[in-house]
Amino acid sequence: MYKGASHKIWSVLMVSPFVIFFLLFWLLPLAFGAWISLHNWNISSGNLGFIGIENYKSILTPGTLYYDLFINGLKNTLYFVVISVPPLVLISLALALIIDNLPEKFKPVYRTIFFISYSISVTAVSAIFLWLFNGNGGYVNNVLESIGIISEPINWLGEQPYAWVTILIATVWWTIGFNMMLFINALDEVDGSLYEAADLDGAGAFSKFVSVTWPQIRNVAFFILIMTVIASFNLYGQTRLITAGGPEQSTNSLIMNIQTSVFSMNQLGIGSAMAIIMGFIMMLIIGFQYWISYRNKE
Amino acid sequence: MKLTKLLALVVSVFLLLAGCSSGSSSDSEKTKDGKIKISFINGFTGGDGAYMKKITEAFNASQDKYVVTELQEKDHYTKFKSGDYDLVVVHGNNLETYKQDGLIQDIGPVIKKAGIKESDFHQAGLDIAKLEGGMYAVPLDIHPLTMFYNKDLTAEAPKTYEDLKALNTKLQAENKDTYALGVPSSGLVEFYMLMIAAQNGVELKDGEKLNFAQEKYADALMQFHDMIWKDKVSPAKLGLDGEFQTFMKEAKEGKAYQTAVALTGPWFYGAAKEKYGDKLGVAPIPQIGSELASYGNAHTIALSAKVEDDQVKEGIAEYLKFMFTPENLLNWAEGGQAPVHLATLEKIEADQEKYQIAYQNSKQFENYVNPPQVYQFGEQMRYMNESVFGKLVTTENFTKKDLMKELEKASKTAEQIAKTAPQK
Repeated sequence: MYKGASHKIWSVLMVSPFVIFFLLFWLLPLAFGAWISLHNWNISSGNLGFIGIENYKSILTPGTLYYDLFINGLKNTLYFVVISVPPLVLISLALALIIDNLPEKFKPVYRTIFFISYSISVTAVSAIFLWLFNGNGGYVNNVLESIGIISEPINWLGEQPYAWVTILIATVWWTIGFNMMLFINALDEVDGSLYEAADLDGAGAFSKFVSVTWPQIRNVAFFILIMTVIASFNLYGQTRLITAGGPEQSTNSLIMNIQTSVFSMNQLGIGSAMAIIMGFIMMLIIGFQYWISYRNKE
Repeated sequence: MKLTKLLALVVSVFLLLAGCSSGSSSDSEKTKDGKIKISFINGFTGGDGAYMKKITEAFNASQDKYVVTELQEKDHYTKFKSGDYDLVVVHGNNLETYKQDGLIQDIGPVIKKAGIKESDFHQAGLDIAKLEGGMYAVPLDIHPLTMFYNKDLTAEAPKTYEDLKALNTKLQAENKDTYALGVPSSGLVEFYMLMIAAQNGVELKDGEKLNFAQEKYADALMQFHDMIWKDKVSPAKLGLDGEFQTFMKEAKEGKAYQTAVALTGPWFYGAAKEKYGDKLGVAPIPQIGSELASYGNAHTIALSAKVEDDQVKEGIAEYLKFMFTPENLLNWAEGGQAPVHLATLEKIEADQEKYQIAYQNSKQFENYVNPPQVYQFGEQMRYMNESVFGKLVTTENFTKKDLMKELEKASKTAEQIAKTAPQK
């Protein structure tokens, strides 16, 4: 239909909205952030000059204010990534498998039930979990005491490991629906004749999952794993609103600490440098995951 | 299309978008009907916001020369730093930081134009707004740590720590789930720590930094630990805003604690009044330390350093003159705040029932100790707020030696923060 120069013009026009928005809202801010990280940039007083890698040095030198802020945030975030990624992937896979095996008429109902929590804002989720896990007269404590599991109230939000448990439960409840939907779509794509063949060979449910389902959904599972790691690294709303970073700064995530350095301490240069280092760490972890996946494929 | 043309297109879009953004200007802006615009940003997003709006709207209705655009934002400090506003509400403990960062200017000449004198304010408010080199804000109110009490559980407001202990003994004898008061592990803990410093005569300001590592201060703070673990006047491990949450609960056999008294922020007054109605008592905080003193934060109205235009300054003077008229400022007291404007205080005293919380809090002005004026006060306090107080009140076998170690760490952090101040 389109030929020659006209074809090229149309191609450029079609792709230009993406290119422009990519430049404006991704590449340009990224480059600007990297540039700011090399400056002594104060939110109040503005750019106080180029200082090279001094911000990075401050963040990575033990004993400095920014080192403590960065390392504390990084430790807490990594801890959350480790405890949250397995349940977020495995529970969503289990839910998807359960729904996949339900009669057709029930599938949309359960899909909606499990997915609906994902549509709620983090503010509402936090309010619900604050009420449920209140240490003094909260719903969860009341239920556990009534059925005799605990004899005295648990300080869910003010003591570890309970604070992390609360954050984890809230996160799983809130976001599990998204991963589950991706798994359901992947399961829908699995060729039904493969299961029939496995049935003829006398394969059980576990054997069918290992030999038929998993190889077919592995690529999607890997994508979900990466997306979940990224999402867990970006932990902010739940710890800001449910535990306020406590107890004793143990749930202060890296994003929260970057925000503190920029908007409370006014150190935009330091905050940008922290964000760049965080980006590198995420890239390293995801690169490592890619490498593992690539090696397994081979 | 050649690459150069594509680049030209992208650059054009950037320029177009850049052209759409508003640039900052020190010149006065005018509305279509020729009124000079004054922008005012504050963080009054709670119940008090409507009362400030009422004052602003009344001013705008009275004016044919100026119009004040009031913006109420939760994160108003960030917006102020990155935007272009003429007036800003700054908390008393942030004023020194804003001054050192060059974000605000001496408001003395403007209030002089408005006919407002220093003698129009209570000394407690003036002490907050006057910094080295001038008057950097108009003091609006002080919101000190306030005592609420449940008249069903205690007819009289406790005045001393001994009163609290006696009340606790009485309540515990009746019901094991009812206590005198609740000590939170996070939330309003900065008020608690500064209050106990003030009530024990501890001076935290040490040059440009806060020095927490003082034996006397450790002794004073240990009282909060003892209130929970030794004297047991408070339940343990109450968590965020525990002082107020427990006050609002109803004791339930082993499942929920209730307290008779809450040492809390006056902003919780609306919720407490709704629950308890006439059974809610409000009073100045009791003497817990060795002397009576009160502590809290304050709202002040500061003038942006960007304001240069004389017409805008004149408009601001008119607005302040209107606001600091008792009939108008009474709206602020109705919103639950205690103004430091003396003529308004007289009106509040004359109608104590109507302005219950404003009146009770104004009684605390006499022994009010203001926040130490240091650069980045909030950041210097952060480790104390987020870590030290929590450990102190939630760890049963926490000793003074453990506390001193934490106070040393907090002081070291505060010193590092103080060093980030702009060079004078």
